[in-house]
Amino acid sequence: MKALAAFWLRFLMLAVFVTIAGFVFVRGQSPSIKVVNLIPASLSGETNQDSEPFLAVQTVNPQIMVASAFTPNPFSASGNAPVYVSEDGGVTWVLSAITPVQRMTCDITHAMPTGENHPRGDLHAGTLACAASITLDESESNDVSSSAVMNVQSTRGNVDQPFVRALGISNSDHIYVGLNDFNQPNGHTATVDVSVDGGATYKSIPIEMRKTAGQDGPSVRPAVAADNTVYAAFFGWRKFNGTVATSDVVVVRDDTGGTAPNPFQALKDPSDKLPGRIVVKRVSIPWSNAPTLGQERIGSTLSIAVDPNNSSTVYVGWADHGSKGDIYTLHVRRSTDRGVTWSKADLPHTTIRNATNIALAVANNGTVGALYQQLSGSRWVTHVVQSRDAFATVQDVILANVPANTPTQQFLPYLGDYDYLLAVGTEFRGVFCANNTPDLANFPQGVTYQRAADFSTKTLTDGSGNPVAISIDPFYFSVPVKP
Amino acid sequence: MNTLKFFLAGILGVNLLGVAAALPQATGNQAALARQSSIVFAGTVSQLGATSFVGVPKSAQTIVVRVDSVLKKPSAVSLKKGDNVTVEVKDPSAFHDGTQATFYADGWIFGAGVAVKELGHEFRPSGGETPKPAGVDEKAHQQAQEQIGDQELRDRLNTADFVVIGRVMDVRRWNAPKSATTRISEHDPDWHEAVVEVQSVLKGGQVKGNKVIVRFPGRNDVAWVHSPKFAKNQQGIFCLNRDQASGVPTAMVGGRQVTVYTCLGHGDSLPMSDVPRVRSLLKN
Repeated sequence: MKALAAFWLRFLMLAVFVTIAGFVFVRGQSPSIKVVNLIPASLSGETNQDSEPFLAVQTVNPQIMVASAFTPNPFSASGNAPVYVSEDGGVTWVLSAITPVQRMTCDITHAMPTGENHPRGDLHAGTLACAASITLDESESNDVSSSAVMNVQSTRGNVDQPFVRALGISNSDHIYVGLNDFNQPNGHTATVDVSVDGGATYKSIPIEMRKTAGQDGPSVRPAVAADNTVYAAFFGWRKFNGTVATSDVVVVRDDTGGTAPNPFQALKDPSDKLPGRIVVKRVSIPWSNAPTLGQERIGSTLSIAVDPNNSSTVYVGWADHGSKGDIYTLHVRRSTDRGVTWSKADLPHTTIRNATNIALAVANNGTVGALYQQLSGSRWVTHVVQSRDAFATVQDVILANVPANTPTQQFLPYLGDYDYLLAVGTEFRGVFCANNTPDLANFPQGVTYQRAADFSTKTLTDGSGNPVAISIDPFYFSVPVKP
Repeated sequence: MNTLKFFLAGILGVNLLGVAAALPQATGNQAALARQSSIVFAGTVSQLGATSFVGVPKSAQTIVVRVDSVLKKPSAVSLKKGDNVTVEVKDPSAFHDGTQATFYADGWIFGAGVAVKELGHEFRPSGGETPKPAGVDEKAHQQAQEQIGDQELRDRLNTADFVVIGRVMDVRRWNAPKSATTRISEHDPDWHEAVVEVQSVLKGGQVKGNKVIVRFPGRNDVAWVHSPKFAKNQQGIFCLNRDQASGVPTAMVGGRQVTVYTCLGHGDSLPMSDVPRVRSLLKN
């Protein structure tokens, strides 16, 4: 009798262990790396090309996050464009139609600073609404879980690719929106919109000081450090022939949060003494607004990240034509003296062929992370690379390795003109887009789907058992920062 | 005894009045509500002041309804009999546990389940009666859905400067004159021009020369993915507006300056099979 009881006890313990192990390794998910398909279960029937993802994390409560993509309002052509909201650290996501744009944005980035006392998510967004004309809205939500539509604080037209970064300083939110502003005179279109009062007022500051080819490139990227240092990187287009831009990669800096009398002029290039340090001069950047890298277009890939605890260290990544036979090549350079001088060549392991969508971030311990997507054969491979020594030695994690030829693109961009990476405590968090086939072989770190998916048959269903076509979905991920 | 009879009769009367007050209003508005609603379902209230999944803000106005039958929903939305839906209702006092009603709603939040905002409701007879057969309701709602399309089309027709039946004679890339300001952007529309021979004008005045130039985006960028693209010999109905998008609202044709039009919205280009429908909508 006693032996029988012991047997059943051991059996029960084994069963509990197997169950726990099953949960931990569900769908191959590594216990420390999280990859989550953002499409909610109740939208399992959707087949949209939900490309160009972005992510904001509430710093004081990182359980709260907002993600976005080219996801249309699921029930109305005249309803508001939605964002994805998570309140449990990215385990589950809901789609909530809170942006001020009708149906679907044609560009959206956002940030959640913590200067103001809005603990449930103070979201600041820059959105483009595309109809007969393209209109920028700079807007705010004080509670992303309330489902209330965001309050538009500023509107204007004739701009491109707003890119929002923000930082809470002394009970106010400082917001920096990099954008290509065609309203600026003399073709000096690279601009940063600065607000130091939570978006109540914005000041547009042109950051290009040199002669351009009529305009700068679309990507203008700010980066903010805790000590009020703000950098911005942009493509200074010097020549453009319709298919190739000859461009400088330029970095500007402001040491007082963009509020100095001559903002963003702290760095001057030794070659011409003009504001804006030229990191690399006159590179050739292919401009192709058609499927070129697989089914993706190329032409303006740029990222900048500053060490949050040492604003002297700053990294810049971009893509250009690279070497012969290559379509699009990524590069990363570093400055350790506040942007005054830069590494003369690409950092080790950062000349990456046939790749795009680089997004850089620096964690509190100085570890730098780089997210990028590489076309390898007929597959899109999404990497997160980390390094403690400026990429001399790296830890490379592949998050997704998916077919590049399916599904057929519905529009451009196919995956996005950008993706995003953030450092949050001891995690790198980010978002990327990929073919959503539920195949564990495509996600080496494992994956969790909210939408109905059958991994044994590698098919999506609509929740009632009917098959659903493969499409592009946004994926959230969390990877531990290399100690 | 008489007092008790009066009391019972009073309760019955009040209840009947309440039902009667609710039903005619709901029935009278049914078609309009169905037109406005993106999600229509019959269900039974199971919880008050509650929500059916995490991520929906709970309030006194949110109730949980178990779905008995789905009458209308977008194809992307997963919703079926037995699901629990959060409904933000206008007047929570109108519902109690077990209330059966048809809910006319718009989508609100999509997560592990569906949350909707009530546009209206129609009480179903109490006593747990089986809902009407789905086919009957679906037929009615299919008709309503058709009317929704009509409403959107009517709105579009009202805002169009011209509505014409025509054939695309030629399609060509349009290069803005050097004097025009051009900007390089990923959202560059890559304007093309369609020369449309007008066969009939359904709305608007006479067209000089019976040909119009329609500018349209050739680019498959996200900004223009819903805009019609034209091909040579394409015949159809075109909703046209004077060009306010390309920056150059006129063109030279045969030595004379003509107004250029655009046709940018989803549904601005319709097949010939829609001619009777468009004529009817324009007439009414």
